[in-house]
Amino acid sequence: MTAPATANELATELKAQALARANARSGNDALGPMRQQARALLEDTPFPGPKHERWKYTSLRALEAGHLKAPAPTQQPVEVPPDLGFARLVFVNGHFHEALSTLPDTAGLQVLRLNGEHEARLSDAPASPFAWLNGAALEDGLLLRVAARTQLESPIHVLHIGESGEPACCDMRIRLEAGEQSEITLIEEYAGNGPIFTNAVTEIESAPASRVMHYRLQHEAPACLHIGSLILQLAKDSHIRSEQFMSGSTLRRNEVQAQLNEPGAELELNGAFIGRGSNHADNQVCVEHRAPHCTSRQVYKGMAGDKARLVFNGRIYIHPGAKDSSADLSNNNLLLSNSAEIDTKPELEIYNDDVICSHGTTVGQMDALQLFYLRSRGISEPEAQRMLGIGFINELLLALPHESIADWARPWLASEVTEAE
Amino acid sequence: MLDIQDLHATVEGQEILKGLSLQVNAGEVHAIMGPNGSGKSTLTNVLAGRDNYEVTDGTISFEGRDLSGMEPEERARAGLFLAMQYPVEIPGVSNLEFLKASLESMAEARGEEAPDSVTLLRRARAACEQVDLDQSFLKRGVNEGFSGGEKKRNEILQLMMLEPKLALLDETDSGLDIDALRTVAAGVNSMRDENRAIVLVTHYQRLLDYIVPDQVHVLSGGRIIKSGDQELAKELESKGYSWINGEEQSA
Repeated sequence: MTAPATANELATELKAQALARANARSGNDALGPMRQQARALLEDTPFPGPKHERWKYTSLRALEAGHLKAPAPTQQPVEVPPDLGFARLVFVNGHFHEALSTLPDTAGLQVLRLNGEHEARLSDAPASPFAWLNGAALEDGLLLRVAARTQLESPIHVLHIGESGEPACCDMRIRLEAGEQSEITLIEEYAGNGPIFTNAVTEIESAPASRVMHYRLQHEAPACLHIGSLILQLAKDSHIRSEQFMSGSTLRRNEVQAQLNEPGAELELNGAFIGRGSNHADNQVCVEHRAPHCTSRQVYKGMAGDKARLVFNGRIYIHPGAKDSSADLSNNNLLLSNSAEIDTKPELEIYNDDVICSHGTTVGQMDALQLFYLRSRGISEPEAQRMLGIGFINELLLALPHESIADWARPWLASEVTEAE
Repeated sequence: MLDIQDLHATVEGQEILKGLSLQVNAGEVHAIMGPNGSGKSTLTNVLAGRDNYEVTDGTISFEGRDLSGMEPEERARAGLFLAMQYPVEIPGVSNLEFLKASLESMAEARGEEAPDSVTLLRRARAACEQVDLDQSFLKRGVNEGFSGGEKKRNEILQLMMLEPKLALLDETDSGLDIDALRTVAAGVNSMRDENRAIVLVTHYQRLLDYIVPDQVHVLSGGRIIKSGDQELAKELESKGYSWINGEEQSA
């Protein structure tokens, strides 16, 4: 029997697998230049090992099973989540599934596939090697373009289903370009079963005075693995609100890179992540204020039961020229068991004086007085704990502009809470 | 209904109740008055079964059952209700959802059917009207962002919905303006019933102008030191609590 690989050996091995995967995707279609650029970046970027501060709490050991070596085939999904009542574009294992999709019939919206017919480019935001791998190995994806001054009333729903019986991987890429003064709601949903690794990249660019409402709903089964990058780039006076809800899994990591590039941009990020069993969920959020008069608000909530491990790292970076910046970050966490662990860290880097900035992170247990209040009305202790756990998350759901999404998410998150105890 | 004998209780190791005895029968309204720190809130919290309130001696019997070994939810299901002095805020759990969970737990414990959602909503709306809370409060988080008076009215709303056998009202009158006081008192009076007992704990006599008690007790130093009718409350109001302490000392 060979000894298990050291963390450094694992990083080297995963990088070799990633490059092999990238090399297998040559080809002279319209995505070729992007793949080449991404491949070069991938080659230059070391894979994360134990010494990487940003990966301190998240191990890639689960990928040792060889997911990166086995691209998941296109297939008919076993389980398709119910639709949310909106036009839905479905991808299975990284490939568009026409039969399951309903194309939105909307003037002012272009729906293009990133399957080699249309070119794509890499965003210049900093990214992890996994995001480069996504660009280097991409076979299919989605490009949504909203024309200037178009207000889309009905949300566009993009569902990705990952399914595999054996360790395998797939890539998913969505790019949304919201034109000047346009409005759109994009719902991203990730579902899946089995040991499949989904390597996802979502880029949203909001042109001046546009408004983007974005949801990210991630409820893949615990056996699934997911590393996702969300890149948000905001132009003058544009507004992006992103709501992210996720249950933990064997390996889940979300990296959010938000760049407020021009004056007057406003960003709102809210999220909830729940871990149970021995699941893992890692959120790495970086918000950069690169221009004056921009605002960012973040509320993230974590809840961990059993032996789950949650990580939150919230970085706010205010550039020297970004005068009159306003940035808030709050991350409150609830521990439901003694064996669960939550690591949270805010990081502020502020390079000018004209800034209003606040941050707070907490890790606590359920409030004894709230529990007593519910029990004094005849509610059993486990039920009271369940209600308080759901209530903790429900605060975010109640504030959602789309009630149907809140109604859909509530039982899902409630079951996560219940099982987490 | 409630029979307390020689009750001693500690809060975080400190003895607050020092030999308190009290009997309350069905159909009666009792008022317990006393200065700050006399043990009024300790008594209600001990009865409701709050953590860190420990009975060290004496007995509490509720309809013949020993309360002291029961969990808070078991006491509630047995018919005991505490309207709290400082109702806690629970964001994210709606008032209606809370009432529903509460009524369902009670019904289940009694082997009864819980009211269906239509009946629940109808009753909750009627109760809202009676305590003068807008119906939108049913959809809001439990006590979330409520004013002091709204929180107290929400306690009375729960009292009306849950229909307990014994209602303990802990300083329900404090912080209320006169209109809110009248509303709250009307709500409590509507619950007077020959099968139900009500214990009002208050610092001020004012509430007793609106809810006339059958008996008034004065609590001081962790014991009931004097009992009487409404006249006792009026005397206390005019002479102050020092009167009763002085009388006790000279006795």
